[in-house]
Amino acid sequence: MITRTFSHLVLALIVFIWVVPFVALVSTSLRSETEAKTSGFWTAFTPTVLGHRFSTHDRGTTAEFVDMSGNIFERLNGEKSGFPVSGEVQSILIKTRIADPENPSKTKLIRKLVPAGEPLEVRGGSFVYQSNGDFTWTFPEATAPKPKKLDAFINQDPVFGADAYIEVLFDNKKVPNALISSFIVTIPATIIPITIAAFAAYAFAWMTFPGRDWLFVLVVSLMVVPTQLAFLPILQGFSGIASWATALNAWLTDCEINDSCQVASKSFASLWITHTAFGLPLAIYLLRNYIVGLPKELLQSARIDGASHLQIFTRLIIPLSVPALASFSIFQFLWVWNDLIVALYIGPNNSSDLVFPIRLQKQLGTFKDQLHLLNASAVISMIVPVIVFLSMQRYFIRGLLAGSVKGG
Amino acid sequence: MSLNRKLLGVSAFAAMSALSGMANAEVCDTPSALGDLGNFAGEVITIAGSMEGKDEEMLLNTVSCFEKATGAVVKYSGSRDFAALIVADLRSNNAPNIAIFPQPGLAADMAKEGHLTPLGDDLANWMANNYGAGPSWVDLGTYADANGKEDFYGFAFKMDLKSLVWYSPEQFEDNGYEIPSTMEELIALSDQMVADGNTPWCIGVESGNATGWTATDWMEDLMLRTTSPENYDRWVSNDLPFNSPEVLNAMEVYGQFSRNDDYVAGGASSVATTFFGDAPKGLFSSPASCLMHRQASFIPAFFPKKGEEVANGEADFFYFPPYASKELGNPVLGAGTLWTMTKDSPVTRAFFEFMSEASAHEAWMSQGTFLTAHKAADLSAYATPALRKQGEILSNATTFRFDASDLMPGAIGAGAFWSEMTAFANGQDAQTTADNIQAAWDAIK
Repeated sequence: MITRTFSHLVLALIVFIWVVPFVALVSTSLRSETEAKTSGFWTAFTPTVLGHRFSTHDRGTTAEFVDMSGNIFERLNGEKSGFPVSGEVQSILIKTRIADPENPSKTKLIRKLVPAGEPLEVRGGSFVYQSNGDFTWTFPEATAPKPKKLDAFINQDPVFGADAYIEVLFDNKKVPNALISSFIVTIPATIIPITIAAFAAYAFAWMTFPGRDWLFVLVVSLMVVPTQLAFLPILQGFSGIASWATALNAWLTDCEINDSCQVASKSFASLWITHTAFGLPLAIYLLRNYIVGLPKELLQSARIDGASHLQIFTRLIIPLSVPALASFSIFQFLWVWNDLIVALYIGPNNSSDLVFPIRLQKQLGTFKDQLHLLNASAVISMIVPVIVFLSMQRYFIRGLLAGSVKGG
Repeated sequence: MSLNRKLLGVSAFAAMSALSGMANAEVCDTPSALGDLGNFAGEVITIAGSMEGKDEEMLLNTVSCFEKATGAVVKYSGSRDFAALIVADLRSNNAPNIAIFPQPGLAADMAKEGHLTPLGDDLANWMANNYGAGPSWVDLGTYADANGKEDFYGFAFKMDLKSLVWYSPEQFEDNGYEIPSTMEELIALSDQMVADGNTPWCIGVESGNATGWTATDWMEDLMLRTTSPENYDRWVSNDLPFNSPEVLNAMEVYGQFSRNDDYVAGGASSVATTFFGDAPKGLFSSPASCLMHRQASFIPAFFPKKGEEVANGEADFFYFPPYASKELGNPVLGAGTLWTMTKDSPVTRAFFEFMSEASAHEAWMSQGTFLTAHKAADLSAYATPALRKQGEILSNATTFRFDASDLMPGAIGAGAFWSEMTAFANGQDAQTTADNIQAAWDAIK
C-alpha cells in the first residue's frame, strides 16, 4: 500500500515536471508580446500590476483647449490591436526636478506615485484620473500642449488571444507550407527504413549465412556513428550524384547545364536517404531482437508446409511484428519530424521547401526577437507528434519491451 | 519633385512596417536610374546569407529590382547558422553563387581555401573611388588565396554604424537631462542618473553562439576613444598585445560601465544573460528600466514597435562621444556585410554590377536599417531622417575604423574575444581576461 502511494506520488511529480513547460508554452503563446516578455507565465491567470505607458493625446494635434477628457484604457488600446488592457489604474508615476534643499547648487529628482483622484501637474495643467481610467486635464487658459507620455500602474485582468496563432498560420503561408514539407520528408523517411529493416531483421534472425553474427555486430556498432561527423562526406557524395544526374539530364533532354536541367544536390530525396541510413542500425537491431523471439515452432511448421522465406516473411513475420514495427516507426517519425540539423545541412534550402523545425528557427528573426510567434509555432509543431504518439501508444509500450523478453 | 520624394519615403516606410514585401514597385523606383545590366531571362542566382526575418524581406525586395531589370531569378536562403552551413557547402562542392559574409574573418578563411572567386581589379578600383573611405572598404574585402596572392573578394554592401547611444527624448525631458557631447559629460550624466534614482544603461551581451559580441563592440569604441587609431590598428594585427596597458585600460573603462551595479539595469550580473535584442526594450518599458543604450544602427528593428519609435520621435540617438581631454578627433566604428562570389557565372557578374549601381543602394535605403558609403547614392532616399543622420555621420567621420573583432582571425574575433568578454561580464578580472585572449592568439600564430 505504501509503495503504491509512493509510486503514485513519484508518478504525479514526473507528470507535473513534464506538464509545467507545456502549460508555460501554451499560456505564453496566448498572451500579448509585451506581457509575455515582462512577466512570467504563472502571472497570466490572475490580475497583475503592470506598468503601461500611454500618451495623453495624439501627436500632431494642434487644437487649443482649456480642458480635455479621455480614458487611459482607450488611449492604451487605441494604439495597438489585440490584447485589450482592462482593470483598474492604481497609480501614475510622475517625476519632477526641483532645487535640492540641502545643496542649492544642485537639483534633485522627485518621483511620486500619484493615486487616483489626486491631481498631478502635467505640462502646467492639472491632470486628474479615476481608477476606471477616465481622466480630465485642465489648464488655466486655452493652450495646445504637446502630448505627454505617462507611466500608469494598472492592476490588469488576465487577457488571452490567439493573435500569434493567426499571424503564424494565416499572415503568410510559410508555416502551413513548412508543415507539408515536413510530411513530405517524414513519411518516406519512416517507411523506407522500416521496410528495409524488416527484411534485414528477418534475415539476421532466421536465415543462416556465413558471417551472419559478425555482420550483425557491424550493423549494430554503426549506431555509434554520430550524424554530425558524416555531414561533409555525405554532402560530397550527394553533390557527386547530383552533377552526374545533371549531366545525364542534359544528355537526355538537350538542355544546357547550369540552366533548367540542374539537379539539386540538396533535396527531399537526399533527406530520405540520409534519414534511412542513420535510422537503419537501430531499426534492424530492434526488429531482429523482436523477430528472434517469435516461437520457433511456428516457423518450422511453416517450412515443413513448404512455405518459402518470402511467404514466411509476409504471411507470418510481418503480422506478428506489428508492435515492434509500430514502435520503431514512432521513434523514427518523431526523430525525423523534430530533426533540425540534418535538414539544415542536407535538405533543400529554398524558402518554399523548408521543413518545420527550420521554419521555427527562422521565426526567431535574424536575432530571435519574435518569441511570441515562436511559441505559437512550437505548439502547432507539437500537435502532429502528439497525435501520432497517442494513436499508436498501445503498440509503443509493447514495442518498448521488444527484445527485453527472451522467447523460446 | 520634393513632394514626390516625400510620398515615396512614406510609402516605402509603409511597405517596411507591413513586412509583406508589397510595394516592390516603389522600392525599385529610386531617385537614380538603374543602368543596363543585360538580359538573363530565366537564369538562376543562388545567394546564401545570415539575414532572416525583416532583413530578409528587405533583401528580397532589393534583389527583386535586379530580377525585374534582367529577368533572372534570385533564390536566397538565409539561416542564423550561415557560418557553419557555408563552410560545409563550400567544402562539399555545393556552393551558392553568392555568399554574404557578416564577418570578414570567415570570408578570408574561405578565400585561403580557394572557395572564393576574385571580383577583379576593376570593381576594386571602382569601390576605392566611389565609396566614402573607399580604400579601407577595399582592404576589408581583400584576402590572400592559398598561394598568398592577394585579391579583391568581398563587396561591402549594407553597412552598420556602431558608435551610437540610443535614448528616449521624452524620458530625458521628464528627468531634465541634456545630451552629452563629451565622454566626461556622458559619465557625469550617468552618475547624475544614479543620484536621481534612475538606471543609466541597458547592456545585454547574450546572443546564442555569438554571445559576447556586444561587449567587443563596447571595447572597440572605447579603444578608439582612449588611444590613437594607430594603436587600434596595431591591436587588430596583434602588434599591440591584448594584455598591453592600452587595451587593459579600455577594458577597465568598459568595466566601469558594465560591471557597475548602479549603472546597469538588472545589475551587472544580468549583462551576460540579457539577450542583446531585449536590452533596448528597457528604454520603452513602463516605467523605463534604463535611459541609454549603446548599440549599432540596426537596433531599432528590436524596439517594441520595430523601429517605428525612431520615426515618431519616441527614440533618438546621439553620437557616443569621445573624451574632450584626449583630443582623438571624432572616431566612428562601423561594420559591413561582405558579398562574395562563390560560384562564377555571367549573371552573377551582372549582379555585382547591379550592386555598384546607386539605384540598388537607394532601393534598400528606402526600406530602412541600411546605410551605405556609396557617394553617388541620393541621401534623400533614406527612409527616415534618423537614417540620413547616421549616413552623414558615416561619411563625415574624422577617423573611421572597422569592427576589430571582424578583422581579427576567426578564432579570436569570433571566438576567444567573445567568450572572454562574456567571462569578464560574469566577474573575471580584466588582467585574466586579456591574458586569456592573448594566450589564444599566441596559440594560433
